[in-house]
This record gives sequence, C-alpha cells and structure tokens, in this order.
Amino acid sequence: MAAPRTCGLWSYCGRGLSRAKRNCGLPGLRSSWPWGPLGARLLSQEKRATETHFGFETVSEEEKGGKVYQVFESVAKKYDVMNDMMSLGIHRVWKDLLLRKMHPLPGTQLLDVAGGTGDIAFRFLNYVQAQHQGKQKKQLRAQQNLSWEEIAKKYQNEEDSLGGSLVMVCDINREMLKVGKQKAFDRGYKAGLAWVLGDAEELPFDDDKFDVYTIAFGIRNVTHIDRALQEAHRVLKPGGRFLCLEFSQVNNPLISSFQVIPVLGEVVAGDWKSYQYLVESIRKFPSQEAFKEMIEDAGFQKVTYESLTSGIVAIHSGFKL
Amino acid sequence: MATLLRRALFPLRRIPSSPRPAAADVPFRARSHGAGLLYPDHIPTSPLQKALLAAGSAGMALYNPYRHDMIAVLGETTGCHTLKVLRDQMKRDPEGAQILQERPRISLSTLDLGKLQSLPKGSFGREYLRFLDVNRVSPDTRAPTRFVDDEELAYVIQRYREVHDMLHTLLGMPTNILGEIVVKWFEAVQTRLPMCILGALFGPVRLSAQSLQVLVSELIPWAVENGRRAPCVLNLYYERRWEQPLRALREELGITAPPLRVQGLA
Repeated sequence: MAAPRTCGLWSYCGRGLSRAKRNCGLPGLRSSWPWGPLGARLLSQEKRATETHFGFETVSEEEKGGKVYQVFESVAKKYDVMNDMMSLGIHRVWKDLLLRKMHPLPGTQLLDVAGGTGDIAFRFLNYVQAQHQGKQKKQLRAQQNLSWEEIAKKYQNEEDSLGGSLVMVCDINREMLKVGKQKAFDRGYKAGLAWVLGDAEELPFDDDKFDVYTIAFGIRNVTHIDRALQEAHRVLKPGGRFLCLEFSQVNNPLISSFQVIPVLGEVVAGDWKSYQYLVESIRKFPSQEAFKEMIEDAGFQKVTYESLTSGIVAIHSGFKL
Repeated sequence: MATLLRRALFPLRRIPSSPRPAAADVPFRARSHGAGLLYPDHIPTSPLQKALLAAGSAGMALYNPYRHDMIAVLGETTGCHTLKVLRDQMKRDPEGAQILQERPRISLSTLDLGKLQSLPKGSFGREYLRFLDVNRVSPDTRAPTRFVDDEELAYVIQRYREVHDMLHTLLGMPTNILGEIVVKWFEAVQTRLPMCILGALFGPVRLSAQSLQVLVSELIPWAVENGRRAPCVLNLYYERRWEQPLRALREELGITAPPLRVQGLA
C-alpha cells in the first residue's frame, strides 16, 4: 500500500536532506546542483514529474528507487530461500548456464551489478579456479621436470589460485551486500572478491575497466534501464562482454504461478508486498526482442539472446567493439 | 552517492492518481494499489490465493509456533462466514452495536496509561495494566487485518484480536503456551472461529504429558463451561469499563475462578 511506504520514505528523505545540509559547505548548492560534476545529465523541472511503474503501480521516478530499495531491504535475509521456493531450485541452473556462456578464463575482471547476495560472484570464482587448476595440471603433465624452487613455491601456496581474476560485486542495497559478505565468509571465499555499494545508473568506476559485466535479475528494478546500459558500455573494456540474465515474457502467461508467489512470500517470509512487486515487475519488463533493441541502442554489437525454460528467463549478450 | 544526494535535495511529490476504472473491471492485482482498497492495509486476494494462504499458514503455524502472523492470516482467510455471524450478533446487542458504530481501537496511542495506573487496585483497568506489565506484552503487537474482503468484518476481527488480552485478564491466564491454549478454548466456544477451533485442537500437540493431563482434566472443562455461560465477550465496551472492579465484571459474565493456578502468573 502506498501510504505506509511513503511515510517511511519521507523520513528517509528527510534524514538525507539534513545530512546533505550539514555536509556540504556551499550554501548555494541546491540551486547549482543540476550543473554539478556529472555535467552530462541535467535535471530539469519536467524530469522530476516523470512517472514510471513500480510493479503495476504508477509512481514518480524518484519514488521508484526508494521503494525498490525497501523491497530488497526487507527480503534480503530470505532472498536465497525464496528464490529456491519460487523457482523450485531452477534458478541455480540458470545461473550455472550464465557462467557457462560467459566461459571466463583466469585473469578476467568481472563486474557483477545488482549482485548483492553473491550467487554469480561465487560461481565465477569457482569456475575460474577450476579453469586455473586445469591449466596448471596440463602444464605439469607437459613439463615433467620442475625445478626444486618451483615445487617449493607450489607447496607454500604462494601462487594465486585464481590466476589474477577479480570479481567486483556492486549493489545499491546495503542489506543485500551484508548478506552476500556473510555468505562469502561462511563459504570461505576471500581472494579475488570486492564489495562495492553503487547505483547501476551511475557506476563508481572509471571507463574501460572490466572484461565482463553481468547483471542477474537486477535490471528490471532499475529506474532508467537505458542509463544502466550506457554505464555498462562505459565501464567495459573494448572487446568486453555484457551479459544479462532476466525474467522474460512467456508465451502462455503464468497466471497461476503469479498468484502463488505472493502467497509463498507471505507464508515463508511474512512479506506479501515484496513478492507482489516481484511478479508485477516481471510482467512489466520488455520482451526479449525489445530488450535486445535497447541493448543495441546503448552501443553494444553482436547482441543475441537465449530463452531458457520456455521463456521464463532469457540471457542477453552483447559486445563492446 | 550522487543519486542519494539528488533524492535528498528534491523531496518526493505526491502524484495525483489517474482516474481508475470501476473496481470490478480491473484485475485484482492492479487493485492492490489505490482506489480499489476497502481499508488501509487491505490486500485483495482470489479464492485460490485464500485457500493456499489458509493451508500454508496452518502448516507454518504448526511448524513454527512463534509465527503469530501466520495464525492471524489463518483467522482472516478461514473466518468469512463466522465473522458475519459474529457481526450480526453484535448488531443485535446494544453495547455491541455501539462498538460497531464507534469502532474503538486498543493500542498504546489510544489507551491512557496514566489514567489506568491511577485507578484503584482490583479494578479492571488496573488489573489489565498489571497483566501487560507482568507478561511483558504490549497491545501494539497485533497485526492489522489484510485479507478480509469486507471492511466491517475486518474491524470485527481486529477487535477480536485486540480484545484477546482482556480475555487473559478476565480468565486470569498467563501468556505461556498453557494459558494461551486455555484462552483459545474459551474463544473457540464463544466465537466459533475456525482458527480458534484449530488452535484449540492442535495447540496442545506441543505440550508435555503432565501439562496435557492437567489441561484435559481440569482447564478445558472449566474454559468450555465459562465460554458457554458467558455472553459474547466481543459485545463488551471495555474502554468504558476500566473503573469496574474485576470481580464484579467476572460475576456479570459468569466467569468463575480457575480450578488451579496456572504457573506463570496472570
């Protein structure tokens, strides 16, 4: 319901406002803000009144960001459990397929956006480590005579087991990152992992930095998808790959499962509204072809998509050439 | 960082909602926002969803008895017929009809705790306050109604939930599992809500053999007898009876003292 959410939102914005006033030393900042450091994006008066969708609800663009934040804040702890329940565990297969399509080699720099709880990041680390170990085994078999120093170094584990690979997990939501960090700690992932708080529409990274950019089940929550795609294009190195795993349009609309998902959310997680938002936002997301065109508009080439599980999800892929 | 600052500097603006079609034409999912709601917090649900919610909440409540929200959901999804009977019966009683009209709510904001504290010892209000303190409960922990599709019935079930603590005080039962089961039996006989009946029958599943024995031999017959004898407890305008001595109120309702003192203090 809009009413209780906006009350929380008012206090959230109020807190931000007082913090901003205290921190910025420029009294005239408010009036000069539209021409700030990000000169490229002007905030005109008309833009503020633009509407977008939050599920089936119509909200202003500023509202959407805050509302989505609250949804993921409340589902963060049960996110993985709910994913398993709703997709009957198949979401793991989808994510494995994404990694197989990516086929990263040791030394890849991956940026995983909206990757809060770390599913893609952990799979990437496993994959790259397996590849690296495979490569080393082949090397050993090829050159049977290693020097004593090389053998000693291997035993001392001085070598990087990932071969220089790195994954940066970026998410706008602190709670999701917290859950992800805890998972990494529990599973013993230490090397090659970095956690960054950031907005997909304005990534805190320099241009031409990453080999692969992934966003799994995150892009439909972004307020301006085109901006997120442009940012993806910016931070990728030339030759870099964009991969997106997202729910898509099915031929027969899954009416019954859309009824069941909020019920599951209520019974398992005590949260109807967030899962209602989930099913509605899936309905609102553009079709495979339309999304492919949006990716091409952002400057990517050789854009393809692959529908999985009869169209429930699709993996879109594009290259920055 | 930049987006956060931007959001902070330009506060939200309420967008006037576009005119919506009649509630019947719009699929119920779209109705969950805006004009189609019967009361705040209302979530319209289809019969399939209600059935699934009832089954799921019953299972989850048994699996994890600390999920009080599941019991509330079970009550809302299974009680439609019984709530109508309760509402009609309230309308026939003068005090009950007044409650339906004025719709009093019991929460920390509506209760005048200072006034209750100043009442003489032994009065209903004072004893209620003592019950809240000793058991460390607050009237604000009751979840709002969400799945009932009639706003008067939604109030009836909300009133039933808020009155639950008063019943504890009247019956002299603490909030541990044994006390709760006894109150549930009383409520089941009084209101005949399916959720109360299910709770009364399945609640004892988790009790020890000794407690079960005491429950079945002494407490349940006492609760059932009092439930039958007393007039409907939803008809009492509790907010007007704070000064009434508890003993007099119990006599008025025909509630006798419990057969033995239940551990945990009422």
